[in-house]
Amino acid sequence: MRIGIPRGLLYDQYHPFFTRFFTELGAELAVSPPTNKAILDAGVQCCVDEACLPVKVFHGHVCYLKDKCDLLFIPRIMRLFRGEYICPKFCGLPEMVINSIPGLPETITEPFYADSMKKLRRWALRTGFRITRDRRRIMVALEAAMNEQSGHKTGYDEQGYPIRVALAGHPYNLYDAFINMDVKIKLNRLGIGVITEESMDEEEMAPEVESLFKKPFWTFARKTYGFIAASVAQRRVQGVVYISSFACGIDSVILELVRDRIGDFPMLVLKIDEHTGEAGVDTRIEAFADMLERSGKVEDHLSPHGQRLSCCESPV
Amino acid sequence: MKITFPHMGNVYLAAKALFEGLGVDYVIPPLNSRAALEIGSFHSPEEICLPFKIMVGNYIQAIEQGADTVIITGSCGPCRFGEYCEMQMKLLRRLGYQVDFIVIDAPKCIGLKELMARISKLSSASPKSGAEKWRALVQAVRIMNLLDAIEAKAHERAGYEKVRGSCKRLLHECRQEVYRCKTPREMLRCLHEYSRRLDEVPCDRSAKPLRIAVIGEIYTVIEPFSNLYIEDKLMDYGISTKRVMTPSWWMGNTIMSPLKLNSPGIRLASRDYLPYYIGGHARECVGEAVLAWKDGFDGAIQIFPMGCMPEIVSKAILPTIARDKDFPVLSLVVDEMTGEAGYVTRIEAFIDMLERRRIHAVSWR
Repeated sequence: MRIGIPRGLLYDQYHPFFTRFFTELGAELAVSPPTNKAILDAGVQCCVDEACLPVKVFHGHVCYLKDKCDLLFIPRIMRLFRGEYICPKFCGLPEMVINSIPGLPETITEPFYADSMKKLRRWALRTGFRITRDRRRIMVALEAAMNEQSGHKTGYDEQGYPIRVALAGHPYNLYDAFINMDVKIKLNRLGIGVITEESMDEEEMAPEVESLFKKPFWTFARKTYGFIAASVAQRRVQGVVYISSFACGIDSVILELVRDRIGDFPMLVLKIDEHTGEAGVDTRIEAFADMLERSGKVEDHLSPHGQRLSCCESPV
Repeated sequence: MKITFPHMGNVYLAAKALFEGLGVDYVIPPLNSRAALEIGSFHSPEEICLPFKIMVGNYIQAIEQGADTVIITGSCGPCRFGEYCEMQMKLLRRLGYQVDFIVIDAPKCIGLKELMARISKLSSASPKSGAEKWRALVQAVRIMNLLDAIEAKAHERAGYEKVRGSCKRLLHECRQEVYRCKTPREMLRCLHEYSRRLDEVPCDRSAKPLRIAVIGEIYTVIEPFSNLYIEDKLMDYGISTKRVMTPSWWMGNTIMSPLKLNSPGIRLASRDYLPYYIGGHARECVGEAVLAWKDGFDGAIQIFPMGCMPEIVSKAILPTIARDKDFPVLSLVVDEMTGEAGYVTRIEAFIDMLERRRIHAVSWR
């Protein structure tokens, strides 16, 4: 039996778990290739117009896989940490895909809760029964998959660059080099090193998050906000680069909270969607890099005309 | 303490009754208008959804009239509405307004003790006795329920009335009259009067008007300004409409949801298409579409603000329902840029299509 796993959304974060789980059960895997133009176009064509870019890309991956597998795995990731959600679109992802793409093979859409072992076992059993009836084998596979996942590390913490920036955003925007047009390489080429939220411990983020009136109920919001706020407060970085997909509901909240916290600390928000042109992105990154470079050189901050510039009076 | 609150349909009338009953000072923000929206969208983040922008406009207009405390409800996600309180507090503080927020959140995420502390902040401002406070609350709830019932009645009868526009006129008159009343008791009496008068509107029950269900995101379906008064427009066309989402429905649903006994009909109807609660009212939207088809409606109109995460999921599902059940659904997306002419054209085209389907009874597939 061939199981199709689309290389979209949280694949980069959790592929060791899912691939190991299914291979342990004796299934053959069909994984879509990294995002390319054909996949993006296919996704844009069949997905509902209002959805964000990563969801459209996921639809594209499903289109690629639909004739190449017998069973399609569409993760319905409801929860990764206790009391938190991912995004409404993740909870309804299987429905979006199934209702938008005709001619799909059978699908696995069990809700996935990673916040309790009991729920994880239930997910494993229900999913595993589609492939084998052997309960013990499924439990062994779950165990192996979890071990595999715990050894998996993503993220960057680049040393040795004169300037370092915090690269923030949802993981599927950060690590999909096609849709973010290789932002990391572009920054590196300009002499800027990046650090991402995986390089920071939860304990360092926690005090920042607790200072909010309400604990954010999205995992992305908690981590990204905590990461940016803490790394700015500790002066670990000289700037923030935020990659956000157009019309992302969660980003509209995170960005507002972050802006409120860091004041006029340099931050570049790169909005990406299916129309993004590379030249414009290049120009903005270059301008941002220039600004960071010069902000270290100017000593007096006196404006040649009019009011004093306030670039150094960040409230943090 | 001078309390204010954001607008949402007729909620301001129930809130008026509540605060009058409690004897608390309050400011009702000016009814939603272009002005409120412009103030709101000027100060709000660009990509946030429409309700946020209108609410910010409400607050600022109310603060200009002397309000110093904002009362809103919260939620614990995964829809953005739950983060409104945090963002709006920060936004108003940044703009230099000194306002207090009382956020009535679900006990599930802030704890019952915190919830009680927040409610007591409100009730301690009232000079009335405990029993009187309860009575004020009960009366406010009754007013809310009656208002919703009157509205539903007017919308339903608009298709059958003999003199076009009589229901709409009565409904508007009712809102104005109730607003003028001083005490909750007077308001109730006035509402009963209008409920009776609506029953007496001459109707032709043999008429076969088009029947349309209005579904979608809760704020944009309830707040008429945000959906460009779609229900008034449909009443003008002589269409009988139905909307399940009302403030009183919301209240009942919220109270029942910890027991998982909320809206059993919707749960059952949506099971084939969206078997999980994914936040917002996406599941309700899907369920209502199926229920509307079962009840023999001609079509449904889905309304949601641009970028609404849960409704995007339901928008992806609705075409399948439309195909399976041969039941037309029109999705309308609203935001501060929505132009009325384009909006009306689409509604009219949809209605024309529904009418012609009846005449020809087409079922090409």
